[in-house]
Amino acid sequence: MRENGLAKSTERTSETLRLPSHEREGQIFWKLRWHVGQTQLKYLLQHARLRTSLVVGLSLLFWVGLFLLFYSGFEFVVDNVGPPGAAYHAQTVQFVFTLFFISLQIMLIFSAGIILYGGLYASRETSFLMTLPVRDSRLVFFRFQEALLFSSWGFFLLASPMMVAYGLVVSARWYYYAYLPVMMVSFAYIPCALGAIICLLLMNRLPHLRRIVVGILAVAVIGAAYFSIWRSLNISNADLLGAAWFKETFHRFEFTRGEWLPSTWLSNGLLDAARPLSQDPNDLPWLESGKYLIVLVSNALFFHVMVTWVGKQVFRSSYFGLNARQAREIKASLTWIDRLALALLKPLNKETRLLITKDLRLFRRDPVQWSQFLIFFGLLLLYFANIDRFRQHRADVSVQTWVNVVSFLNLAVVGLILSTFTTRFIYPLISLEGRRFWILGRLPVKRDTILWGKFLFAACGSLLPCSGLVFISDVMLNVSPMVVLVHQIICLLLCIGLSGMAVGLGALMPNFREQSPSKIAAGFGGTLNLVLSALYIMIVVLLTALPCHFYLLSYGTEIPPRMLQSGFLKLWLGLGIGSSLILAVLVTVLPMRSGLKAFRQLEV
Amino acid sequence: MIRFEHVTRAYGNRVAVSDLNLNVGQGELLALLGHNGAGKTTTLKMLVGLLRPSSGSVHVGPYSVVGHPREASSLIGYVPDQPYLYDKLSGREFLEFVADMYGLTAVEARDAVTREAERFQLGDFLDQLTESYSHGMRQRTVFAAALIHQPKILVVDEPMVGLDPHSIRLVKDLLRSYADHGKTVLMSTHTLSIAEEIANRVAVMKTGQLVFEGQIDTLRSQVPAAGDSLEALYLALMEEMDF
Repeated sequence: MRENGLAKSTERTSETLRLPSHEREGQIFWKLRWHVGQTQLKYLLQHARLRTSLVVGLSLLFWVGLFLLFYSGFEFVVDNVGPPGAAYHAQTVQFVFTLFFISLQIMLIFSAGIILYGGLYASRETSFLMTLPVRDSRLVFFRFQEALLFSSWGFFLLASPMMVAYGLVVSARWYYYAYLPVMMVSFAYIPCALGAIICLLLMNRLPHLRRIVVGILAVAVIGAAYFSIWRSLNISNADLLGAAWFKETFHRFEFTRGEWLPSTWLSNGLLDAARPLSQDPNDLPWLESGKYLIVLVSNALFFHVMVTWVGKQVFRSSYFGLNARQAREIKASLTWIDRLALALLKPLNKETRLLITKDLRLFRRDPVQWSQFLIFFGLLLLYFANIDRFRQHRADVSVQTWVNVVSFLNLAVVGLILSTFTTRFIYPLISLEGRRFWILGRLPVKRDTILWGKFLFAACGSLLPCSGLVFISDVMLNVSPMVVLVHQIICLLLCIGLSGMAVGLGALMPNFREQSPSKIAAGFGGTLNLVLSALYIMIVVLLTALPCHFYLLSYGTEIPPRMLQSGFLKLWLGLGIGSSLILAVLVTVLPMRSGLKAFRQLEV
Repeated sequence: MIRFEHVTRAYGNRVAVSDLNLNVGQGELLALLGHNGAGKTTTLKMLVGLLRPSSGSVHVGPYSVVGHPREASSLIGYVPDQPYLYDKLSGREFLEFVADMYGLTAVEARDAVTREAERFQLGDFLDQLTESYSHGMRQRTVFAAALIHQPKILVVDEPMVGLDPHSIRLVKDLLRSYADHGKTVLMSTHTLSIAEEIANRVAVMKTGQLVFEGQIDTLRSQVPAAGDSLEALYLALMEEMDF
């Protein structure tokens, strides 16, 4: 018998003869999507109204905000650089467009590749589908569609307000708006397909080295991005944002305008579609733009064919290769973090110490948790470490007030990231204990101790990175010691308040049916926790930021109003901190008290 | 119908299945037995196309599982140890999806869903989302999906886990009658009493190797002092292999 083949070609069974055609397979998958989508939409509208309205509302707000920002920006360009058709106008807008689109292009390549990896190689659904008589190319395309959707929605949310704003500012003709959606979809398709192809080839060739390769690539990209940002801004301060700076920066980003880049085709297509008609009858903007549109569409179609072809060739072998690896045996041992935690927790009673140590170990051994924390805080660190530009103009009082505003905004950003962390990881802690409650509930430990243990774990664990980041921001901005002290106090209040809220609400509204922390966090209680956390952060930061701001402003005027004089401002600041303290006590104690009450009566 | 020829499967340096030769014919119900980690699930996964042998070949009817995975899987119905269902589909929608994938027409699919729903008593739950199903209900739905196209081969990994006595009886009868009607059943299980009750033959694996294959009577003659029950025979065989 021929290996890997049919014994005899005539032996095709009736079962194989009736299998669906390629097109029919596609229809079946669309039917599946339709059913699943319909059910999910119904669920969102019936059971997750708060979250749905919040997501839709915030997205609309974000879109409108971006639109207004871009609209003003393009108006500024038209007023100060030149109208559409002028050489400098085209150059300036092209610089903005190409830089913007190439950044998104790179992000789309990575996000589509990573999402496809999760969908194809680490998904139980794919394993199930592989047991059905589904073509490999169809299966890859089915998962690629999801990767395309999940990776490119951000692109549409970011790019559409910019493009619409530009069209309105330059009074673009109808074909600009007609081309726009087709251009955007085709553009997004190309890098996503490229990311998918890279993912498939990487998994096929390097299944054993995938973590190392991805790690090296990620470090290389971060390094390149950091280097290019540093290089583009590393010009003498006198030139910052001046003509020389602009010229040099324009030259430095020459690589973003390469003729072979889809981002350049999109930028040029948009610019041509938006420019006014000239006197020359042979100059037809709609045709020039149409050429770029055709290039984008044809390339998108080519990449579509490539994804399915590469998927057909390599998916199954890469899947098998990945599953042929030996499972890693991870030895659980005490690390320096555990020892340090044990030493620091010594003053606490034994039960609390043991519970916190257990949570710390679970957290440490689950890279999904700390890697997200690390990425967010790492990016913030990168930003804070490069924020010392304001130092050069300290004498200017308007710069001082901006420094103050930025320092408080940084504090708010740290708080907001902490709130997403407490919602995503701390809020679901009690729900996740549901399946372990057979042991926790039977231990000779008071239930209050379990909850307080989680609170201490969250509050103490978040304090060090948060206060450290805020301190770095303050040092880089060179703010006064008083502001540093105020920031540290607020940071402490944020860590305590956000932890209390997440632990308390998590115990008050547990979800023992769900095993995925992300799904628990996405429920009503998690969304409520996120909204309340954001409100709390905004109020606390404003209560202290405003007195500091007015304090600095009062120095700029010779005779400040009576209520803004130095003595009163210190009073305002004291009152602000006092009010924040009371608020922090309320947002910690009230949810914790309700959570404790519910947790004492808990039956699993 | 099922042929494993010199099949070896390794995960890195660890050999999960070593030089396996096993045939299961039409009308046969073969129970695959062995301790945890013996290589049973790996063997079944190679059969249904979820894993590729490191060497050797697996054939289903006239098809090589590696060379013609789509054709091979059209002949198989598979019930995994950890079944997957789409939470946001109803039982009916899930069964129709599977029926469509096997190329059943709309009318055939509707009839097949009705037939399997009756057989597994899914009627009351068929139009509810599967996320609301109990473990037993999920298992019965997966059985219904595996049988929706009336495959020539039924592959079942730990079929009785989490089922109530009534469902266990149902599944036992089903597996036996399926084999009696000329189909092939390969079942991996730890429940030796069930294997003893319904299997024509048993195959015993230990650390990746097939240590016994044949009828229970043959096993009795191989370890005569062990006793009558399959449990006693199995444990004696394992003990013998340890020496």
